[in-house]
Amino acid sequence: MQEYKRISITKDEIVPLAEKMRKNGVILAMIHGYLDKNGLPNISYEYQIDPGIESYYVEGEKVLPTISHIYDLAAEWPERELNELIDITFEGLDTSKRLFMPDSMLEGQGQIFVTPMSELIEKAHKKKED
Amino acid sequence: MSYIVPIGPYHPSLEEPVHARLITDGELISDAEVFIGYNHRGIEKLCMERNFIQTLVLVERVCGICSHSHAMTYAMTLEAISGIKVPKKGQYMRVITAELERLHSHYLWLGIALHIIGHDSLFMHTWDDREAIMDILEDLTGNRVNYGMVTYGGSRRDVSVEQKDRILKMLAKIEDSQNRLTEFLLSDKTVALRTQGVGVLTTEDAIRIGAIGPHARASNVPVDVRIDAPYSCYDEFEFNKAVFPTCDVFARVVVRCLENIESIKIIRQALDSMPAGPINLGNKIPTIKPGEYMCRHEAPRGQLSYKVVTNGTDKNERVSIHVPTFKNAPTIPTMLKGNSVADAGLIIASIDPCFSCMDR
Repeated sequence: MQEYKRISITKDEIVPLAEKMRKNGVILAMIHGYLDKNGLPNISYEYQIDPGIESYYVEGEKVLPTISHIYDLAAEWPERELNELIDITFEGLDTSKRLFMPDSMLEGQGQIFVTPMSELIEKAHKKKED
Repeated sequence: MSYIVPIGPYHPSLEEPVHARLITDGELISDAEVFIGYNHRGIEKLCMERNFIQTLVLVERVCGICSHSHAMTYAMTLEAISGIKVPKKGQYMRVITAELERLHSHYLWLGIALHIIGHDSLFMHTWDDREAIMDILEDLTGNRVNYGMVTYGGSRRDVSVEQKDRILKMLAKIEDSQNRLTEFLLSDKTVALRTQGVGVLTTEDAIRIGAIGPHARASNVPVDVRIDAPYSCYDEFEFNKAVFPTCDVFARVVVRCLENIESIKIIRQALDSMPAGPINLGNKIPTIKPGEYMCRHEAPRGQLSYKVVTNGTDKNERVSIHVPTFKNAPTIPTMLKGNSVADAGLIIASIDPCFSCMDR
């Protein structure tokens, strides 16, 4: 069975840990995140140390440092996803362009996909009229 | 002069909706951007509102090609959280279905690649072989797309002696045609002209961007979850990682051809050494304990990961699904740079993308 280890870290430890992992050739499997029942974010950095995963998690922080300068697109896409889906700010991450759909289609930040259909239809009509 | 050429979200050369903006300098692509999210169905959110039995049905519908991979990975995640031990025969049945799924997925991709290259007759021959695999999957599971093979603690269906014979007969047929296809692809001039040196993703770039699965193996990165982090009963079979060093579209074609042969080897071994005993836990409904786990599975397109958080109720607190395309799609701009606009469709298709899967 694949091993899975959870380790709690602070936001200050995120970058040094990523640097250490990258130096050791460890693959960043994914950055996962969700909002718990109280609306607080739980972000975990899943490092692939075969045959297992070491999951380093940070709780309750809405602003985190980016590790995209260390792990490149392997970190940039998951960070942009978390930014657009659950409104987590990654300091230093280039968010000038959208990952999910072009800028012209949806507006706002965080959980943009939860935009009600009625609002989307209204926007489409408005765009047509303009 | 520089132009922006938009491709998609709906375009004849795309299997699924995605939007790419190609920044071109004459006929050559100098840069590219990819936008995803056109097939978002809110499946992760739905998973948080369904119970575990309903979620198993739901996640199988994330993808129409690797449906079994999703159900199997989700089930393995919950089984790990709750300490549920899957009977050996149930694991064998899951692996057989997973490898049949890999075969039909790779045949589907090979057919599409040949179609884009311009070999339409070979595309039809390839899909004829794929049809034989689909028939066997239907015979084995009762379904052609969403197999419903996985249940907590095992598999739903056993394989009969007659079915085993039919599977072995089909494998002999497709092994023969696969060998002929591989020989053709390795020697055909048109295939070479359309694929060799096209859409290069160097080994360094593949590692830097985090490519996975056959896409990474075609860039000479030897990663395969089945071998690197064995799960289910994969450690009981002998097979190789299909790796190829040329890092171009040609390598992606070759790797998938080689993987088909490896999948055939795995299925034969599983059928020959099928253990006796139950395929699942019977009528016992397992209790899902509170916990958290991340499980990885080598789906046809690469590493599929499920991270599930449970809280002791009958519903998921969180299901996070990350599919291989999410890791491989960021390589598209790098591969497109320096290639001609005419090759863009083939290069995007060469990662075997499943955007619907990725958007979930």
